[in-house]
Amino acid sequence: MMYISKFKKINDKKGYTLVELMFYIALFSLLSMAIISTFITMSKAFKETTIQADLLQSSNILERISREVRQAYDINFISATDLRLNTIESNNRTIILRFVLSGYNIQVYQDDVFIGNLNIPSIEVTSLSFTQITTAQGKGVRITLSTRSNRDSLSRTYDFYSTAALRGSY
Amino acid sequence: MEFNSKLKISKQRGSMMVEILVVAAILVATTIVALEVAHKSIYVARQSLHQSQAAFLLEEGVEATRIVRDNAWSQISGLSLSTNYYLSFSGGTWVLSVTPSTIGIFTRTVVFSSAYRDGSQNLASSGTLDAQTKLITVTVSWLEGTQVLSKNLKFYITDLFS
Repeated sequence: MMYISKFKKINDKKGYTLVELMFYIALFSLLSMAIISTFITMSKAFKETTIQADLLQSSNILERISREVRQAYDINFISATDLRLNTIESNNRTIILRFVLSGYNIQVYQDDVFIGNLNIPSIEVTSLSFTQITTAQGKGVRITLSTRSNRDSLSRTYDFYSTAALRGSY
Repeated sequence: MEFNSKLKISKQRGSMMVEILVVAAILVATTIVALEVAHKSIYVARQSLHQSQAAFLLEEGVEATRIVRDNAWSQISGLSLSTNYYLSFSGGTWVLSVTPSTIGIFTRTVVFSSAYRDGSQNLASSGTLDAQTKLITVTVSWLEGTQVLSKNLKFYITDLFS
């Protein structure tokens, strides 16, 4: 009687431990899978927000060009990727400001002296287009810009559009 | 004695189970929250880029309408009020038409309304009709996920040159 009961007890305990172990292993693997996939998603999200933040910087390029076009009094030269503006600086000096696409960068020149790139290094300008608009009263420039981030493995491009009338030409 | 020891084991196992469940629940909740944050951050980042693109389209809408005015005031005075017009670039200049058009995911509409002046000739929401001025509302709308977002800009344009 005692012998049987002892045997039963040992057997009982062992069975539970195996089921428990299997349950814990299953639970552990499920949880670790969930945690790993969360880490992957979070790192993807971080990369995506970095790319979007880069691209948001490209709005500064267009803002700068539009502002300079508005302040200019005449267009010196215009082609699809090259714009030269006659503009007056604050000290009444006339200067030629040039925006030109070179490779993936938009370069700024002032009186043929290279000033720098308008885009930040992580931004690639894939296309730039200047179109002159001539109205009965003056001139304007339509600017279209496509950019992408060099961090983006999908190489998605985003388009920005702007038109500015030369206030100085009125 | 034997019954007691069995009870003890069983009791211990029960409390372990509760602990495991609590830990699992905390981990699951943390994971869900982290995923939520990740998704929200992507959504917000994309939305802010779209907002910036839309802001440029709005600004362009204003400048383009100004260019239409510079071409001829009749191109503005001849338009119907409270009607959606769409800007298109053709023949080297901006033109307004009622044919709907989109720019990528964005839709831009231009609506003209009458402008009024008060007793001291200032622009007002009511008063004497000024036929030489129009109130213009440019709206840019786009689909963000399942939600339609829109931005608009109101400005006055005056017949300066005729």
